[in-house]
Amino acid sequence: MKIIKSIYLVALSAASLGVVSCGASGENQGLEYAPQMYHSVAYEPLTQIQNEEAGSWLSNREDGKGEFYNSNVHNPHNMNMREPVPNTVPRNQYGMLPYRLKVADLTGADSVQNPIEVSEDVLKEGEHTYMQYCLPCHGPAGQGDGKVGEVIGGVANLTGGAYINLTEGHIFHVITHGKGRMGAHASQITPERRWKIVHYVKQVIQKQ
Amino acid sequence: MSIKRSLLSVPFRFCNMALIFFLLIGINAFAADPEVSDSDEAVKAGESLFNANCKTCHKLDQKFTGPALRGVSDRRDIAWIQSFVKNSQKVIQSGDPTATALFAEFNNTVMPAHQFLSDDDVMNLLSYIEFGGKEEAAATPAEGAAGAATATGGVPSEYLTIILAVLVVVLLLILIVLGLIVSVLTKYLNKQPLEEDDKEFINQKTDLKKVFRSDAFIIIITAIVIALVAKTAIDGLFSVGVQQGYQPTQPIAFSHKLHAGDKEIPCQYCHTGVEIGRSANIPSPNICMNCHMHIQNVEGKEGVSTEIQKIYDAIDNDQPIEWVRVHNLPDLAYFNHSQHVKVGQIECQTCHGPIEEMEVVGQHSALTMGWCIDCHRKTDIQTAGNEYYDKLVQLHAESKSKDALKVKDIGGLECAKCHY
Repeated sequence: MKIIKSIYLVALSAASLGVVSCGASGENQGLEYAPQMYHSVAYEPLTQIQNEEAGSWLSNREDGKGEFYNSNVHNPHNMNMREPVPNTVPRNQYGMLPYRLKVADLTGADSVQNPIEVSEDVLKEGEHTYMQYCLPCHGPAGQGDGKVGEVIGGVANLTGGAYINLTEGHIFHVITHGKGRMGAHASQITPERRWKIVHYVKQVIQKQ
Repeated sequence: MSIKRSLLSVPFRFCNMALIFFLLIGINAFAADPEVSDSDEAVKAGESLFNANCKTCHKLDQKFTGPALRGVSDRRDIAWIQSFVKNSQKVIQSGDPTATALFAEFNNTVMPAHQFLSDDDVMNLLSYIEFGGKEEAAATPAEGAAGAATATGGVPSEYLTIILAVLVVVLLLILIVLGLIVSVLTKYLNKQPLEEDDKEFINQKTDLKKVFRSDAFIIIITAIVIALVAKTAIDGLFSVGVQQGYQPTQPIAFSHKLHAGDKEIPCQYCHTGVEIGRSANIPSPNICMNCHMHIQNVEGKEGVSTEIQKIYDAIDNDQPIEWVRVHNLPDLAYFNHSQHVKVGQIECQTCHGPIEEMEVVGQHSALTMGWCIDCHRKTDIQTAGNEYYDKLVQLHAESKSKDALKVKDIGGLECAKCHY
C-alpha cells in the first residue's frame, strides 16, 4: 500500500517536472501545442526550413516530406522570397517608373524634377523618414554630426557650402546610388519617400 | 549635489589651467607660415568655415578620413593649398606629385570641390587650422570626468538586501534569546519545591515520532505537496506553445545594444518594412555594408573583426546569412507591423522589450492571444490628425461609453480581425 502511494507521488512529481521543461529559454524553443497549426503550408517570407525530414513524425503530406519542410526548390538558395521576373518593370501606386539613371550620371540627375508637390504633410513625412534613415550619419540638423557619422567620417554637412546649392535631382540620385563614402539607400527607402526626404532637406534643413 | 560639484570643480579647474598651459607651449613650438594671421577675428571666421565644410573629414591633430591639418601651411605652399582646397581633383589630374601621393594614401577618397571659397576664406581657414581648436581639446576631458563624477548616485536595491540581512540576524538573535530564557526558567523552576503534576509539565519532552505520525501533520504535508505539484503542473501547461524567453544564438554575434543603444541607429534603418508592410524584415547584407564598408572592427581596433568578416564573406560568396527567427506567430494568426507602428504609433519596445539593451535578442513578450487582447482593451486609438477616424470618434462620443475610443471599440476583439 505504502509503496504504491510513493510510486504515485514520484510519478506525479516527475510529470510536473516534465511539464515545466516545456517552456522556452535560451536555445530551446519550447514545446508546441498542435504544431500543424503553427507552421505555414504556403511559402512564407523570412522563414525557411530546408531540412526535408523536419516534422516527419506527424507528416501526412502527399510528397512524403516532413510537415515543417518549407522552402522553394525553384529559387536560388531555396529561398521563399522571389525576385521580380526579369525584364519586367514595376510601376508603383503613384505611377512612378523605376529610376533609371546610372551611378555616374550626376549631371543627368540635375535635371530630374521632384514629382511630389510640397505640402505640410509631405514635409512632416520627410522629416520622419529623414530621422530614421539619415540622422545616424548626417545628424538631426544635417550638420554631419550623427553618432554613426563620427565613426565613419567624411559625412557631408548638408548645411555647408559645397552642398547648399545642389539640385533636388542630385540629392535624390545620391540617396539612391550613394556617393563617396555614402552607400546606396535604394533598397531601404521607396522612391516617393526619397523625394519627400529631398523636400525636407531642401526646405527645412537648407531653408530654401 | 551642489556642494559635491563645487568641491570637485576646484581640482578640475586646476587641471584645465595646467593643460592649457602645456598646450600654449605646444603652440609656440609649432611652425606656421608667417603669412597666416593669428588674429582672433581670422581664427573665428576660419572656425565657422571649418565646421561647415571640413570638420566631417578632417581633424586638426589626428588623421581621420583625410589627413591631420595642423602645420599644413609649413608643409605646403599657400598657393598649392588654395588650389587644392578649391578643386582637389584638378590638382591631382594635373599630375602634381604631392597631390597624387596624398590621393593614393587616403584610398582615392575624393575631396569635394570648394570653389565658392575665396582666397581670403582659405587664409582664415588656415588661421583656424594653425592657431585654433586648442581650448576645446583641453576642456573635453575635464568635462567628461565631472560628468562621470556626478552620475554616481545611491543604489536602492543594495540597501534593500542589507535591510533584509539585518532583519534575519535580528530574528535569529531573538530566537537564541528566547531559548536561553526557556532553559534558565526550567532550571530555576526545577530547584523550587513543586507538585508532581507541575514538575511533569515542566520536564516534558516533545516526542517527534508522535508528531510525525499524527493525522494533522500528515494531512498538512500531503496538502502542501499536492498544491505545489499542481501549481508547477498548471504553470508548465500554460507555457506550452509560448516561446517567451527564446533567445537563440545567431550566425553573427550582432549586438542590438551596440547598434540601437550606443549608436542610436533607429530600428527602421535596418528593419525597413516595419512602416510599410506586414513584416519588419531582416536586413540583407547590403544594408550592413552601408556602414561596414568603412567600419571593419569594434572600438577602432586594427584589422577586421571575425564577426564583420562574416558579412564580407556573405557578399563575396553571394550566400545569404541564415539568421534564426526569434518571434514566431502561429500560422493561424495574422499580424501586420505597419498597422501597429505606422497607424497605431506604437513604439517597437512596447512588444519587443528593451531591445536597445540586448546583446542577444530574445522574445520579451508572451505573444499569446490573451496578451494581444489585453492590449486591445486598454489602448486608445491615435485619432488625432487622422481623418479616417473623425466620424467614428463623433459616433463614439454620442454613445453611452465614457472612455476614449479604444481598439476594442472598432473591432479589436473580433475573431476575424486576426484569424482568417
